[in-house]
Order: sequence, then structure tokens, then C-alpha cells
Amino acid sequence: MKRWGRWALLACSVLLLAACGPVGDGGDSGTAAGGGAVRDGGTLTVALADDPDMLDPTQARTLVGRMVFMSLCEKLYDIDRELNIVPQLAASRPTLSPDGRTAEIKLREGIKFNDDTPLDAAAVKMSLDRHRTLEGSQRKSELLAVSGVDVVDPTTVRIRLSQPFAPLAAVLADRSGMVMSPKQLDKLGADFGDDPVCVGPFRFVERVAQDRIVLEKSQSYYDKDKVHLDRLVYKPIVDENIRLANLRSGDIQVADQIQPTDVPGVQRDSSLQLVVAGSLGYQGITFNVGNTKGLPPAPAGKAPGALAGDKRVRQAFELSLDRDTLNKVVFNGLYEPTCSPIPLNNPYATEALSECPGHDVAGAKKLLADAGVKTPVQVELTTDNSPQAARIGQTIQSMAKEAGFDVKLRPTEFATALDDTDAGKYQAFQVGWSGRVDPDGNISNFHLSEGSQNISRASDKQVDDLILEARTTTDVARRKQLYADVIKAVQERASVIYLWRQKTYIGAAKNVGGLNVYADSLIRVTTAGFTS
Amino acid sequence: MGAFLLRRAGQSLVTLVLATIVVFFGIRALPGDPALALAGEERDPTALAEVRAQYGLDQPILVQYWRWVTEVAHGNLGESLRTGISVSETILSRVPVTLELALLSLLVAIVFGVGAGVVAAVRRGSWTEWLANLAALLGLSVPSFWLGIMLILVFAIILGWLPASGYVSPLTDPVGNLQRMVLPSLVLGAQFAAILMRQTRSAMLQSLGADYVRTARAKGLSERQVVFGHALRNSLITVLTLLGLRLGLLISGAIITEQVFVIPGFGRLLVEAVFTRDYPIIQGVALVSAAAYIFANLAVDLLYSVANPRIRLQGAAT
Repeated sequence: MKRWGRWALLACSVLLLAACGPVGDGGDSGTAAGGGAVRDGGTLTVALADDPDMLDPTQARTLVGRMVFMSLCEKLYDIDRELNIVPQLAASRPTLSPDGRTAEIKLREGIKFNDDTPLDAAAVKMSLDRHRTLEGSQRKSELLAVSGVDVVDPTTVRIRLSQPFAPLAAVLADRSGMVMSPKQLDKLGADFGDDPVCVGPFRFVERVAQDRIVLEKSQSYYDKDKVHLDRLVYKPIVDENIRLANLRSGDIQVADQIQPTDVPGVQRDSSLQLVVAGSLGYQGITFNVGNTKGLPPAPAGKAPGALAGDKRVRQAFELSLDRDTLNKVVFNGLYEPTCSPIPLNNPYATEALSECPGHDVAGAKKLLADAGVKTPVQVELTTDNSPQAARIGQTIQSMAKEAGFDVKLRPTEFATALDDTDAGKYQAFQVGWSGRVDPDGNISNFHLSEGSQNISRASDKQVDDLILEARTTTDVARRKQLYADVIKAVQERASVIYLWRQKTYIGAAKNVGGLNVYADSLIRVTTAGFTS
Repeated sequence: MGAFLLRRAGQSLVTLVLATIVVFFGIRALPGDPALALAGEERDPTALAEVRAQYGLDQPILVQYWRWVTEVAHGNLGESLRTGISVSETILSRVPVTLELALLSLLVAIVFGVGAGVVAAVRRGSWTEWLANLAALLGLSVPSFWLGIMLILVFAIILGWLPASGYVSPLTDPVGNLQRMVLPSLVLGAQFAAILMRQTRSAMLQSLGADYVRTARAKGLSERQVVFGHALRNSLITVLTLLGLRLGLLISGAIITEQVFVIPGFGRLLVEAVFTRDYPIIQGVALVSAAAYIFANLAVDLLYSVANPRIRLQGAAT
């Protein structure tokens, strides 16, 4: 009897732990189950970590803006749970010509914008042309390879490319692939963001800057039977403590970006659930190698100091850092240590990516000795001025000290830090990237010699050639090999050292169901609602 | 009177022009490129250059200033760099929110501060005075951010009596508006209530020991009449002076309270605009605030001159 009692206790404990634990698929996507069937009706309030910028797919820049677009503006393609590119407004994957310079996209039929006008090839052309040409468009560089768009017939568009461009479908699975209503574009022009109309499960109602964005269920949406909510309110609440307090009080039902330090509290709260997903991005340290005059097209130079001058010093710095300890100390072990720009779940990732150089103080000291530098090596590390960044900086500081680095922290407000690092006024910068589905989006801008975000200004023809070949190769196996080579090469030059990958923790009320979060960290509420 | 009015209006205009210069060049002295701050992690150089050109940020600073002042003179404060929404529209929607918060906080401060001050003075040496002093000390020393979070924890999360945050207009939902304003008003009013309590207490103690109060008591007036009809009435002069001086500070103090309770007010607008280097919003908010102060001062000067003709005559003589 006693034995049975113990087993029962063990079983209960396991069940209890499961009930308290995060809701996810064990992989890189998560779902709020809500504990029952989702009923129709209700208003869901989602707290975002910042106020979105313009609600115009052409001019928008922010991650939180993408969160709103998820409910408002569908795209030609989307990603699924496994990060595969799948058709959304398109009927199938693009059909490429043998030379890879044209791509034909067949559209789904019977789709309507939220103003009841039909979606056709002319509308797609109009949106793509606007993305490519509007002054102030943030999509121009994403669509740089596109040289023209033609309407083949009402349900087919042809995209002409200046060179083969493997990430095309991935690019069209983000804001570049959003199609705007021509009627609304004609009406509002560059002010489309004041009252955006796209194809989406929800239509725009109103926006009060810094307070709320209100959407309501669209009656024109092709899949409206799957949409349960009547209304959706996005509310920017910047402070994470206040966001969580509002979730606990029931004023909001979904909270974006729960901090690792708050995760155990959410797990313990029986009225809440935690939705966990992976991330496409990374966090790390970028070293100034040759940024003396700013970003391209300014010429690269040679930054002063041992870190810039000798890759062995940068490699030694990397060896001095213990990624696991950093993850445990700063993030309660809830993020993932990494040493690569692309996540392991990416279809182009290889096994080799998981092999990080370990924490090796003796190895670091040897590299410094080989480089013949005088220790301690002075390093000024720029971080943003948040409390979390301070903890990260202090942990790095104490680890690197063991190997012979004297790290001085320079906490700087983020806007100023961007200004300084773009201009080359820094030595090392702790910064990350939210990530893109296609590996090219995480690599080329940061590592190509003329990359628009190569703040390091590290330059290497071999790396450039590999990246450009990977970008234009459509054969998956070949591309996979090329990215393995690219990553090996950038790890070797150590202009950027990759340290950890964030995970996405979303808090939700227990009675919210049908809400999905994939590895792109975006909250998908199309099928969300309240459970009975 | 006409000449005095014209002179003061002229002075105010010069002050306003000086304010535009300080505001415009002051914000540009901050490090951080607005186009870069807006772009965040997505920093495509071509797009950045176009954004700078679109908003005239690539022009010489004097040209930018002249353009802005010309637009302001035509009543156009521009559009937010971040959201593209009109600055005037945004400011107009925020002013009533912050004014409501400031006025309700003032009410809280008067009710609790003056009430506790009177009780502390009348019951000097008793436990009630000790309690009032302790409350005042707490009001002065507890940071409003912490107090806000604690009130949310108790009243919104544990007890569930009040909403944790947000704002609804009193015109659309008066009850909902009051429910949402209770906690922010308490937080914003707490420090001022503590100051008022101390001032009222000392003014009341002084009044209660004065000859006219002794005379009132000798005449056989009840203690209630003595305290409220004579001592408090006389003490209120000090309190009223303090109220006038602190109202402006209450509005600036609303910044933190608005952040904690997610209230879309004037303070929060300014703070978030500074972080994103949203120049048109920062300039608009600072200009409107400066104009309000200058206008209020002008109005007070004019009222003084009406009440005391020597002021305008002195001004004319100099």
C-alpha cells in the first residue's frame, strides 16, 4: 500500500510539474491550449513590449510592428512550425526559370481585401513596386535583386531578378510579401499606415499612439470561420514588471517578452500559462576590426588595439567566456548557448553548428602569449543601459579577467550606442539580431565586406565569395554546405562572437486558447480565443 | 493699461522665440541620430538616407530650424517620425489626460494632506499625530514607482478591486475612468499630501497658539468653530501658496505615474519620444509646455496689474 502511495505521489508530482511547466511543442513553437474548446466572441488584449511604428508594410521597421501585421496583413508566403516556407496568399511556391532569373507566383483565387475588393496579380504588382520604389521604403534592400514585376494574368505574377536569388520566398514571407489594397493605396498614398487595409483575419479600427491599436474581426477574410475573437487590442507596455502585473490582474490576456527572471513566477501562477518558442536570432559581441570611418560605402581601415589587429586576441576572448555559465547566471538557464548566426532548427543548419569552442582559459592565455600582446588586454565593451545588459557585461567582465582581459563596461543608451558603433567609435559591442528565416538574412548584411550592417568592417574575399554563392544557389544541399563553410570562416575570423540565442516566453491567461508562437517570436492570434 | 499689455505681450513673444531656439537646438545636442533610432536593428543605409531626406534631417540645422518655425507659425507642429501621426492631434489628446490626473492628485493631496495636518495639530502629542507624521514620512520617502507597483499588486492583483492600468475618457465611461484614476492619483498625490500635511500642521500650530484664537475661545466658541472657522482658515493661506507653486511640479511628476499605470498622458509621450529621438513630438511637447507657462505668467502679471495699479506704473517708469 505504501508503495502504491509513493507511486501515486510521484505520478501526481509529475502531473503537477507538467501543469506548471511551459506550454510548447518541445521544439521551437508553442501554443496556448487554454484547456478546452475555443468559443466565439470576446476581446483579447495583447501587451507589446514597445509601441509599433508606422502600420505601413513598406515603411515599417519594428519587431512589434510585425506582431500587429500578423493579424492585419497577410503575405504571399508564411512560415510553418518547422520553419518551412509555405504559401499564404500565393497558391504554391514560386516556379523558377532554369536560369533562376524569373520566378512565377500563382495566387489563390477568391481572396478579398478587408475593403471587399479582390486580390489579384495587379494588386500584388502594385504593392511590390511600392516596396521597391517608395521614398523611405524599408523594403528596398530586401528586394534589391528584383528588377521588375509583371502581371502574367489575373492570378499570376512574374518577378524578374537581376541575379538568381535563393532567399526570394523567405523575403516574401515577411513585410515585402504583404499585399496592400490598391483602393486604399490610391486613397491614402504614403499615409497608408493611418488606415491600413490588407487581406487579414482582422481589420484596422483605430490607433491611439502609445496607448492602443484596435482591430476587429474581418468579414471579408477567406478563413473567417477559423477566427473566434470579435476584437483584438494591442497595447504597448514597455516595462516588463508592469506588463506582468497587468497580466496577473487580468487587464491584459497576453504579454509579450516575459523575462527569464519572471518565468518561474508565471509557471507557478495557476491563472496563467507560459507559451515558449525558439528564436531565429542571436546575441553576441561584435568587435571593431576595421571601422574607422563608418559603414559602407566609407572605406574600411584598421581599428586601433590588439583586439582589432590580431584575430588570436579575439579568439582568446571567445575562449575566456563560458556560454553555459553566462546563460545560467543571467538568464536562469532559460536561453540557449550558441556560437552560430543561424539556429540549429534552420533547414540549412548542419550538425557542426552545435560544436562550440568550449570555455578554455589556458587556451585563451596561450593564444594571447602567441599573439605577443601585453596583458591585461584593455577592452571597452559597449552595452545598452538596461539592468539585464549590466548583468551580462559584469559576467563577461569577470570571466574575461581570468584569461588576461581588463574589460571596461560602457553602458550607453541604445540610440546613442547605434550611432557610435555605426561610426566606428567603439571597441566591442554587445548586440544581437532578431533573425530571419533564411540564413542569408542573418549573415550577409553583417559579414559581407560591403554589408549594410557590417559595423565591424571585417573584410575577407573568401567569406564574401562564399556568402554570395550561397545567396544565388538554389540547390538545397549545396547551399547547406556553403553555409557550413561560411559559418566556419566567420567563426575563425571572430569579428563577431555568438554567445546565446534567446527563447521567446509569452505569458497568457489560462483561458486563452488557439494562440501560436513560432520561432520568429511573433504572436499569432488568428485562431485564438477564450475557452469556455 | 494698453501699453502695459502690449509690452508684456511683446516680452512673452520674445521669450517664446527663445524657447523655440532652446528646444530645437537642445534636442539636437543629444547624441543619437533620429533616423537610426527609428530604424533600430534594421539599418539599411539607403532607407536611412531617404528617411533623413524625407524629414529634412539632412539639411543644415539652421534651415531645419527655419522650416520648423515657419510651420509652427502656420499652426503645423508636424508629424511624428515614428508613427506618422500629427503632433498637434497627439498633444491635444494627451493634455486633458495629464490635467485630469494632476487635478485628481491635487484633490487627493488636499483631502489627505490638509486633513492629516489639522488632526496632527489639534491632537498634538497623541498617537494620531504620530501616525500622521509616520504617513507623511512614508509619503515623502517612498519612490512613486515602487508605491505604484505595490498598489497594483494589492488592489488589482490580490484584491481585484481596481484595474491595474489604462485610461478611458470620463466622457465615454465616467465610472471606468474613476476606477482607473484612483491608484494613479494616490501615487502622484502621496508626496504632495505629505508636504501639505507638514505645512498645514505647522501653520495650524502657529494659528492655534495665536492671540485671536485665544480670544475666540474666550468668547465661548466651540472647539470645532475655533479650529475650522479661525485657525484653519488662517493657515490655508500658506497651503494655497504651496498649491500654486506645486501644480506645475505635479504635471512633471506625472511622467513616472503615467509610465507605471500605462496612462497615455503628456509625460509618457515626452519620455518615449526622447528615447526614439522623435524630434517633432519632443519639440511640440516642449513648445506647448513653454507656451502654457509663458501664457500663465502673462495672465498672472495682468491680474496683478489690475489688482495693484502701481505695478504697471512702475513698469512704465522704467
